[in-house]
Amino acid sequence: MKIKEVPQDGAILESTEVRDVCYALDEDGTYKEVLSVGWSPKNEAIQFAWSAINEESAKIRQEVMEGKLSPLAYHLSRLVMTPRILADYTGFSTRKIKKFCRPELFAGLNHEVLEKLAGALNISVEQLRSID
Amino acid sequence: MQLNFEHKTAGHCENGVVRNLLKYYEVDLSEPMILGLGSGLFFSHMPFYKMHGMPITSFRPLPGAIFSSVTRRLRVKIKRYKFSNPDKAMAKLDEILFREIPVGLLVGVYNLPYFPKEYRFHFNAHNICVIGKEGDEYIVSDPVVIQKCRLSSADLKTVRYAQGTYPPRGRMYHISSIKRLRPVDEQMVRKAILKTCNRMLHIPLPMFGVKGIAYLATRMRNWVAMYGERGAALNLAQVIRMLEEIGTGGAGFRFMYAAFLQEAGEFLGKPALRDLSLELTAIGDLWRDFSYHAARFFKKREGEVASYDQVADKLMKISQREKEVFTRLEKIMKSE
Repeated sequence: MKIKEVPQDGAILESTEVRDVCYALDEDGTYKEVLSVGWSPKNEAIQFAWSAINEESAKIRQEVMEGKLSPLAYHLSRLVMTPRILADYTGFSTRKIKKFCRPELFAGLNHEVLEKLAGALNISVEQLRSID
Repeated sequence: MQLNFEHKTAGHCENGVVRNLLKYYEVDLSEPMILGLGSGLFFSHMPFYKMHGMPITSFRPLPGAIFSSVTRRLRVKIKRYKFSNPDKAMAKLDEILFREIPVGLLVGVYNLPYFPKEYRFHFNAHNICVIGKEGDEYIVSDPVVIQKCRLSSADLKTVRYAQGTYPPRGRMYHISSIKRLRPVDEQMVRKAILKTCNRMLHIPLPMFGVKGIAYLATRMRNWVAMYGERGAALNLAQVIRMLEEIGTGGAGFRFMYAAFLQEAGEFLGKPALRDLSLELTAIGDLWRDFSYHAARFFKKREGEVASYDQVADKLMKISQREKEVFTRLEKIMKSE
């Protein structure tokens, strides 16, 4: 790859201070470091992975509205959390977290538990209770 | 307080932290040299190890391997810590920092505030360096960020105790002595290159090195049957991300290693390495060509048809070319 071929396809990084350092050849054929804001195939791969996650969350959101799952299930999916990892963050067992995904059990949770869950997900208790 | 620490960006976080730490002790090496001395180029495809339900494809050795090899070769002494108690982990960090020693930390990126949200998966092997503290804020040098950044102690504690696969558990490290430092010499470079060649050519398992690339190609041909159209495309996207997402310097470290071969060729007075560097650059371009074509599976461009056989063929060719390069490299390094 030559320096002038280093892609600058901004889609994800340009609003942050994170950059890719690319190694590319200058006109004398010597390697130099060049900063890049991204490359389309990579950006598309990342966006595709997210679109799969978003589709899955939309499906779960539907099930929450139908009363089959609790809002926690939706937030887990949306935030790429798994019951196992949330269990590690909160100290609850994985089985308990899975139970909290059932609407009838979620409805009975006290504020303290909700606060713990919301805290680990980095959202507020109100957000945790809703699916907005 | 803030240490007089030069923050420099790098392609890869681990290389970057090692280089910046060494620079603080006036050992000045380039990132490609760190990669080369750390034998940081590799390939593996392991269908039985999964992340987010997909097989892991990797273009480098295990996290921490580059760091260990480089410091061992240079005879730089490192002290490492791990804590079960987060408060102790923070207290110890302060104690060392106030002795004017920059500290490398292993963190998870899921809760790292300055990362774009698209990058925030449960990846727990990111390296940063703490170089100062003002009030409740830490000054951090993260090699993939242009400027130094700041993290509140609460945020820092969270990312040091990220959960998921391979949790960091407050791991940290610093250089404890450079008394026995050996400057880079011919033997060191030669050994490091031979180790890379050995890993790329001679591991007697199909998942690793140049054979691993062919193995991935073979498996890829069956992906649609195994995972369905969408699952296959998701797997392919995963490979592209490992090739290009933050840290590889482009094309899964191939360009960075080519830069190293160029530097090593000059250092060893072996012009043949410059030719091999060019050849590896051409291979890097092939990897990029592979990514470009692979992207068609998840971003349809008009009038294009793509098949997994087509992209798998590209990988077979790459495997063949890499085999040639590393065989020639090994021969040159073993002669004399």
